[in-house]
Amino acid sequence: MGKNKLVKIPSSEGIRGARRTQMTDRGPIMGIIPPHMMKELAKRGDQRQRDMALKTLLISERIRGRRDAFAQVYVAMPAGKKCINDYDAKNKEGEEYLPGNAIQDPESSNDMAVKEAYNGASATYDMYHDVFERNSIDDKGMCIISSLHYGEKYNNAFWNGRQMVYGDGDGEFFNRFTISIDVIGHELTHGVTEYEAGLYYSDQSGALNESISDVFGSLLKQRVLNQKADEADWLIGEGLFTSKVNGKALRSMIEPGTAYDDPKLGKDPQPAHMDDYQDMPHSEDNGGVHINSGIPNRAFCVTAIEIGGYAWEKAGKIWYATLSRLKETSDFQDAANKTFQAAGELFGDGSMEQQAVKKGWDTVGISVVPSAMRARAAAGAAAGATE
Amino acid sequence: MLIHFERTGGFAGLRTAVTLNTDTLPQDEARKLQEMADAAGFFNLPEKFPLPKRGADYFVYRLTVEKDGRKHTVEVSEPAVPAELRPLFQYLMKHAR
Repeated sequence: MGKNKLVKIPSSEGIRGARRTQMTDRGPIMGIIPPHMMKELAKRGDQRQRDMALKTLLISERIRGRRDAFAQVYVAMPAGKKCINDYDAKNKEGEEYLPGNAIQDPESSNDMAVKEAYNGASATYDMYHDVFERNSIDDKGMCIISSLHYGEKYNNAFWNGRQMVYGDGDGEFFNRFTISIDVIGHELTHGVTEYEAGLYYSDQSGALNESISDVFGSLLKQRVLNQKADEADWLIGEGLFTSKVNGKALRSMIEPGTAYDDPKLGKDPQPAHMDDYQDMPHSEDNGGVHINSGIPNRAFCVTAIEIGGYAWEKAGKIWYATLSRLKETSDFQDAANKTFQAAGELFGDGSMEQQAVKKGWDTVGISVVPSAMRARAAAGAAAGATE
Repeated sequence: MLIHFERTGGFAGLRTAVTLNTDTLPQDEARKLQEMADAAGFFNLPEKFPLPKRGADYFVYRLTVEKDGRKHTVEVSEPAVPAELRPLFQYLMKHAR
């Protein structure tokens, strides 16, 4: 290989491909850190550790005239590299002002919103990378971009298809939108869902999209706080309301409809069961996507608590594995069937985990239809048609 | 001129709305509203703007204006809000609850 040639690997391989690379080099090259550990650091350490490890490996490879180990690391580096950028929208509103002015060293900023957005995005990257083996939003290591101070007294955070955007809140009802780490996980997950499932953002597929963002937003919070499923508060947007609002958060995944009840803002409208599903016109919240998400939210919650332990380890993996199987028009029933199927593949048909998924959806009034039963029903219908 | 404005969606999914009648507003306020609606060419705007293909948690706006026997409603999601309509939306949001 030429001296300065990069190793080009198919993007579909990514870090997972690189991780499968057999590490054959066991002998210590330099100092007390063996090269296989150095390679791990080069792949998974923080920025400083990676730079140090890569430099060390590079020097040692040069000394020993071997390039194989270095090549392995070099292949893994671009894929495993975490890239997070913050921008200041300078209180301007409108897509044409995004992303805004680049902020230097966001991790050490004195601006709380900048720091929270950086740390939240970083923790979300880590969760997707370490738990779900995903390399950033697109699984190809794309830079995670956040714009802060969007608009004036702007009461929202959103994903615009390319980046996350956060308002400062009006200070009357809302604090800054970075204050709650699950909001950051929620927004970033919209990007992941867009790449994996492409769920239409309206009506039931939109509510499912919203729920997936709440699920991984809550998992992020639980992972950062090191909480097991039965220890978590399962709240979305805790701390986002000012003290003037009578409410603990924006949504409760465990008890949808109970997050707030305020004289000015009204009562949390989320249903907790299909019996209370709200058909809404498209002009209202895209057909109630932030309303009906309460139903699949609760299904996940019940599943995770039923399984026990850390929710991201099993329930989270089942939901993540389901993402790429959903299509644009998937509804709650489709999600129920596919999470059940994914649980069977990950943990075995009839496993405790699969039964927990069934219980989760049963609780909200959705009966899982196993794929074998669907196939039999389809075969029966076809046979009936030919008779 | 009668105006009914509502904003739904967003991360919080809250509904915020206001109804204003220029006949009952102070004169300068009424004139300002009228000017903003005219500047936006409101009655010539499409009823529905195309939905954004990507993105999530955008605000969804719905604005109805009645004037001189004419009535027109516009529905639009945040990223598609035309620049000329934005000042009117921002003004109405200051009055909305």
